[in-house]
Amino acid sequence: MTQPAGHTWRLPPFLRTTAFRLTLLSAGLFALSSFVILALVYAATVGASMNRADTAITAEIAQIEARYAAGGAAGANRYIVQRSVGGGEFLYLFQDADQRRLSGNISGLPAAPADAQGRLRFVYDRAPADGADGGAGRNARGQIAELAGGHKVFVGMDVEEEARFVSNTLNAVLVASALALGLGIISGAVVSRRFSRRLDAINAAARAIKAGRLETRAPRNHTGDDLDELSSNFNAMLDRVEHLMQRMRTAGDSIAHDLRLPLTRLRGRLEGALIDSDAAEAREAALQRAISDVDELLRTFNAVLSLARLQAGERRRAFETLDITALLRDVAELYEPVCEEAGLEFACDCPGGLALTGDRELIAQAVANILDNAVKYTPEGGAVVLRGRRTGAGALEISVTDTGPGIPMEHRARVLERFVRLEKSRSLPGVGLGLSLVQAIAEVHGARLTLDDGPGAVDGHGPGLRLALTFPAVEG
Amino acid sequence: MRVLIVEDDREVARNIAKMLRECGHVADTAHDGEDGLALAREAAFDVLIVDRMMPRRDGLSMISALREEGDKTPVLILSALGEVDDRVEGLKAGGDDYLVKPYAPSELIARVDALARRRNPDAVKTRLEVGDLEMDLLARTVKRGGEAILLQPREFRLLEFLMRNAGQVVTRTMLLEKVWDYHFDPQTNVIDVHISRLRAKIDKPYGAAMLHTVRGAGYRLQP
Repeated sequence: MTQPAGHTWRLPPFLRTTAFRLTLLSAGLFALSSFVILALVYAATVGASMNRADTAITAEIAQIEARYAAGGAAGANRYIVQRSVGGGEFLYLFQDADQRRLSGNISGLPAAPADAQGRLRFVYDRAPADGADGGAGRNARGQIAELAGGHKVFVGMDVEEEARFVSNTLNAVLVASALALGLGIISGAVVSRRFSRRLDAINAAARAIKAGRLETRAPRNHTGDDLDELSSNFNAMLDRVEHLMQRMRTAGDSIAHDLRLPLTRLRGRLEGALIDSDAAEAREAALQRAISDVDELLRTFNAVLSLARLQAGERRRAFETLDITALLRDVAELYEPVCEEAGLEFACDCPGGLALTGDRELIAQAVANILDNAVKYTPEGGAVVLRGRRTGAGALEISVTDTGPGIPMEHRARVLERFVRLEKSRSLPGVGLGLSLVQAIAEVHGARLTLDDGPGAVDGHGPGLRLALTFPAVEG
Repeated sequence: MRVLIVEDDREVARNIAKMLRECGHVADTAHDGEDGLALAREAAFDVLIVDRMMPRRDGLSMISALREEGDKTPVLILSALGEVDDRVEGLKAGGDDYLVKPYAPSELIARVDALARRRNPDAVKTRLEVGDLEMDLLARTVKRGGEAILLQPREFRLLEFLMRNAGQVVTRTMLLEKVWDYHFDPQTNVIDVHISRLRAKIDKPYGAAMLHTVRGAGYRLQP
């Protein structure tokens, strides 16, 4: 029995929410449980009052039977007449064996059928008397007993008050349950409306972002409740995504910038080689230069790839315990001749026993990159020092200090950004990825990269630059 | 030398084959792991160049299959995956060398040459000789023309690698990988400086240069 989808009746949006469904469920359960409890109370009350009536009736019949046993029909009759006139709470009817009415305060036996014990429930009309309410169709209970000589006695009791109380109670139970359900639904609607309004705001933000308005953020009420936390996490996630996208965009621009120049140059060379086809030597030289251009391009490309992968956090699996002392001495050994060639004094100051959990290749690469920069920017006659040490706080610090021109304070944050090379140094070789790669490697290791002044300005050198990687102390 | 290139990018496969043929080698190509495996089983190759990600059967599974059958042909794995884990995985599967895309053609040729040479039982030698240059791997001594040359441990390993690949081009990246065990690319000419130091010890005093620079590619040790 499927209906065409277009004709399906749907609840208004706020009633379709999870919050509403949950409150509805809890209201339903509450109504059901209050109904059950009240029903139990009802059954107990009704049972008790009816029992009380039945007991009183049985006792009265026993009285009459006693009179009958002692004084015969006349004795019983006298008693009944006495009691009827006395205006008691009982209804009486005394009949002889031929069903003729002998005495009593009702005219005939009630029409209702009796059960095995002679008990019956019936309705009767009562004339108002003695301050008691009269009325038609009053509820009553009674019992018929056969006496020894064929006489029949009926004793009844008006239970109209009790019946009314009972039916009032029943109504109260039903009304209360219905109210509980109704209030539950209303409060559910109110709560879910509030809740869904806040969720809607978050959803609206998500939709806006999907539609391309990336600066949109989810609203917060700063109460620290669950929805507020959701918004906060959502926003933090968006900030991260936006940051990454910003980086990608910058990277894209920079790649375009950094690759266009060598590609243009390459094209020029190849074209030149094609034209100078007669001068074999010149052509070969052009081709050689073209090859080194391509190598440069490949290097840039590889660096961009490594950086992208690092920032995507793919490398954390290769972590192991590293002998940093050996690692630094190895890198120092690799760079010492380079420094010498560049006319720089080089020293590696690294005590034994330094260890760290990390990726050997990455840390070596970071140190190599920093040294690359130091060598590149420190003029002849300067010095470069690679140092590893434990700080007072137990952190491990790897630093490279040079006597180059340093980086002005206002540019320090910028040099860590991908591809940024300060204008002055654009003419030097290199892709400008160096420090941002070091920064990314530091991030992967939970380390901090700091830039400080070097040893200061002396003899036309300096003030120098001190780059330090600080790896946090590890427990145990 | 006969080389099998298993690479799903047909143009790349064709270019590699062309390059190898220009160097005087014989090159066959296959375009997926299954075909590659079939070809490798049926003919004897000196070196296999296997791309890592291919349809039907990936490179690593193809290499594992060959190794299980006892085939010891040297394999150069080509891959866009260049992290340490990826390398380790490739070498574990039975690859002998690992080259990350993009690479320079000269790099590929140099590595294939080095792999082909590795088949020679060079590794068990205790003495290496190239021209009048001798290296004693047990005593860790080097002589040229009978005259002892004192080398630093790293210089010794650098020269050992060059001597093992004598006559072949070795690239800077190969040296950085095999001698220093670094897989990154320094921005400065670190290797050149080490080579020129080595040259100062083994070439300069003897007049005849053995350690040649191959422009745009790397170095070659040749008497």
